[in-house]
Amino acid sequence: MSSTVLPPRRRSGMRRRSARLGWAFASPALLVVAAVMIFPIVFSVIMSANHVQVSGNGFQLSGFTGSNYSILLHAPRFWHDLEFTVLYTVFTVAVEMVLGTLIALVLERLTTGRGWMMALLLMPWALITVVSAELWAYVYNGVYGVLDAFLGDFGVHDLNVLGTPMQASIAMAVADVWKTTPFVAIMVLAGLVMLPSEVVEAARVDGANGWTVFWRIRLPLLRPALAVAVLFRILQAFGLFDLPYVLTNGGPGTSTESLAVLGYKVLFNDLEFGPGAAIAATTALIVLVFCLLFLKVFRTQVGEQED
Amino acid sequence: MARRRTRKRNLGTNFAALCIAAFVALPLYWMVASSFKGQADITSAAAVPPHPTTANYGNAFSNYSFGQYLENSAIVAVATTAIVLSLGTFAGYALARLPMRGKTTIMTVLLMISLFPTIAVVAPLYLLLRDIGWLNSYQGLVLAYTALMLPFAIWILRNFFLTIPTAMEESARVDGAGPVRTVLQVILPQALPGVFTAGVFTFVAAWTEFIIALTLNNEDRYRTIAVGIALFGGQFTTPYGTIFAASAVAMLPIALLVLVFRRAVVSGLTAGAVKG
Amino acid sequence: MTKTSRRAAAAAASAAAVLAFTAACSSSSSTTPAAPAATGSATGTITWFANQFGPTTTDVRKTLIAAFEKAYPGITVKLEQAPSDTDTYRSTLVTQISGGSSSFDVYNGDVTWPAQFAKASLALPLNSYFDQSYWNTFSNGLVSSLSYKGQTYAVPLFTDNAFLFYRKDLLAKAHLPVPTTWEQLQSEAETLQKDNLVKYGFAAQFDSYEGLTCDWTEFAADAGATSVNSDGTSSSIDTAAAQKALTFMRGLITSGVTPSAATTFQEQQSESLFTSGQVAFLRNWTYAYADSNTQGTSKVAGDVGVTNLPTFAGQTGPGYSVTGGWNLYVNPHSKNLAADVDFLKWMTGTQAQTIMAEQGGEIPTVASVLADPQVQASNPAYPVAAKNKLNARPSYVAQYSQVSQAIYTNINAALSGSVSPSAALSSANSQINSALSNSGL
Repeated sequence: MSSTVLPPRRRSGMRRRSARLGWAFASPALLVVAAVMIFPIVFSVIMSANHVQVSGNGFQLSGFTGSNYSILLHAPRFWHDLEFTVLYTVFTVAVEMVLGTLIALVLERLTTGRGWMMALLLMPWALITVVSAELWAYVYNGVYGVLDAFLGDFGVHDLNVLGTPMQASIAMAVADVWKTTPFVAIMVLAGLVMLPSEVVEAARVDGANGWTVFWRIRLPLLRPALAVAVLFRILQAFGLFDLPYVLTNGGPGTSTESLAVLGYKVLFNDLEFGPGAAIAATTALIVLVFCLLFLKVFRTQVGEQED
Repeated sequence: MARRRTRKRNLGTNFAALCIAAFVALPLYWMVASSFKGQADITSAAAVPPHPTTANYGNAFSNYSFGQYLENSAIVAVATTAIVLSLGTFAGYALARLPMRGKTTIMTVLLMISLFPTIAVVAPLYLLLRDIGWLNSYQGLVLAYTALMLPFAIWILRNFFLTIPTAMEESARVDGAGPVRTVLQVILPQALPGVFTAGVFTFVAAWTEFIIALTLNNEDRYRTIAVGIALFGGQFTTPYGTIFAASAVAMLPIALLVLVFRRAVVSGLTAGAVKG
Repeated sequence: MTKTSRRAAAAAASAAAVLAFTAACSSSSSTTPAAPAATGSATGTITWFANQFGPTTTDVRKTLIAAFEKAYPGITVKLEQAPSDTDTYRSTLVTQISGGSSSFDVYNGDVTWPAQFAKASLALPLNSYFDQSYWNTFSNGLVSSLSYKGQTYAVPLFTDNAFLFYRKDLLAKAHLPVPTTWEQLQSEAETLQKDNLVKYGFAAQFDSYEGLTCDWTEFAADAGATSVNSDGTSSSIDTAAAQKALTFMRGLITSGVTPSAATTFQEQQSESLFTSGQVAFLRNWTYAYADSNTQGTSKVAGDVGVTNLPTFAGQTGPGYSVTGGWNLYVNPHSKNLAADVDFLKWMTGTQAQTIMAEQGGEIPTVASVLADPQVQASNPAYPVAAKNKLNARPSYVAQYSQVSQAIYTNINAALSGSVSPSAALSSANSQINSALSNSGL
């Protein structure tokens, strides 16, 4: 990648040195992550393939089994929750990326008060997730929620926002968009600001108008920043927990139950750590496929070409 | 003519900004307004508290050790952010720029770690920290958070580093700058908005995390605000007023932090504004 | 460390993981209960992990601790505040106890937990610490709900009952009697609504959560139905009687007696509909009496009456109330069992139970305390409670959590109208059966 004009032998020696330097730079972080995270994840994956009995004396694993996974594959509830989570993810990620990018463009053009705007935008994001869910539960409340009071002024009564599957899902998505879009906007804005200004100016000189510059030049250059924003959103949306847990507890019925809520109930309400771990591992696998697929479509390599 | 167009554009921009601000601020306003409503008014839809009271704030601080929780959260979040940014910057740089083998694998594994559901790793994480003897401590929580948030922070940093042109580093190298100095003095200032993003991501994640803090630290002395707020209320009641009061207080440090660091970011951002 | 987990450890992928795994799997060996100590001589400090109960204005737990420490000067009790959400609380208990934690000795736990916690050995079996005469002091039916396979795993801290709360002023205005059957309640409610005296007739907890299992169990029992058979081996929910109960509940909503938003109501929402004067009848727990009669926060203070729940026409009244409330459990890793036992004994003794009733507003578990005229005079709900016909949720099965989810998700779906009552019951039936045979989620 680094391509200054040097004789071949010196170049390869430098490459080796650079590679060593790379490992020196990366290893402290990688070691911390490995030391703390590998055991819990491996443990959880092992549990997912075992009969597990949680007990006062630790986890009793009594033999390898595929039954935790086969229970999942045969449970309509799992498939339903998967479908709900995927649809919810696709919908909210799309909405938030478009909105977030638009907000970033507005912020970029804003000449005064940008610092204050950023502080304000980060407030919902900084709100403790369960509190933000409580706030929306308070707003959507079927008895004294301000939304009902507000809509009542326009003659809309008994909307029962959280009591019907479609409305409840939309209500959740609104709460999610409110909380997370600002952070997406900040990420995209950071990307915009870091773009080399020469390229844009060159295009301007060539007579390209604002939209052309954005679509043809800035957006492609923005790809790494956008990619990380989308990944971040996929992770968040797929892990959707607090909103359904607080707003509907998955209701009506189980129509707004997400995979994370299901996993939580199976692990900590039912104390079924085998199937619970299987839900977690399956979720992780699905999100990973999702992410890699996206990166492929988006033509951003996971790692740069190792030239 | 050009000036008029600029003014028109500014008008449009300002109007759009105003709409965005309103969408973001309205629910927040509702939360803060409700935190000043007493028991009798909490079910009222009045936009201004009819009988404003600070009873909810008093309740959060006197009936619960909310001051202590705030301090704990601040210590844990600041320490986590500092460690994640210092380790993550170098790792992110290496993974963006330096010719290491297996980068694709590393990035994929990091992604896997950051997407593995936290609820499934809580129990084993508890066992791990129990064996180190770091339950009910700051360092235990900081270690767990660092490991949990580093992977994605590296992703953020690495992707932002990718957008920086390589020319600057090369001229630095030609000038004889060492690799550490190149990262600190050339890359970092260029990537400041990206570093800011990673910092905000980490700080907020540590500030709001619930299930791990709940499990690792169950002594009041080491509890964080997210856990503290979950202690509010009784069997059948959600004390919205007290929860909102506590949350309003918990938002302030973040707002202050952003306003303080705005300078650092805005310097990067102004360059963008000029060209805009 | 068990043989089986060692085998699992050997299968671990990386050497590092194996090492960590082995270390983490072996938990402290303090689980064998010490020999029962003579009570009264114990000393030391114990930690009580407890969520808030009783009124929010005064913390009755602190009153209880102060009185206990006076009676047992050698023992100090440290109160550790627990999360208010029951499921969140359970998750932290499970992780900590299974991880060998001894950071708390005695903990509050829901009345539905004994079987589940017993099966997972998260609670210490208590039979060897208390004699038969101790267990005989409690109200009927309480002790059996604490037992699993012949051992008792908790002592009952306080109990809770369901009641029918009604608006005395509205009934007087319309010259209507207090209803004793559900059918009568529905027709009286319709009359009150038609006369524009009140917006809605009846409110209860129909959200998709544990509270709906309570409400459902009562309606079903009134119709003569159960959810699980008595030996806990299979579902009994898909019957004509259950169909009758569910059809009636759905009818409350379709007739407009109960607002359709009730399918999102938990205790708090249903109670605030009542205290804001928008509903005539309310099914709720003991706390709602004092709460809805508080001047300033309730618009109907002074107009609230309390009685036993109605039953279906043709059945002998009153209707059933499920048992709620909280127990005290002992952490199997506790290092001071003698002091724990003293604490449990005292908390379920006359003095503590009287404090609980008079200052905590919770129904005492000790029969003689509940019968005490002075205690009964302290809260109009207590004499009604003494006449309540009680019915437990099927928490004698260790898979109660799954059973309850099968009940409340399907009943909620039927109440919100997305499936028919018969489809909901047949789906609940198969889910309960697969939960009991450990073959489903």
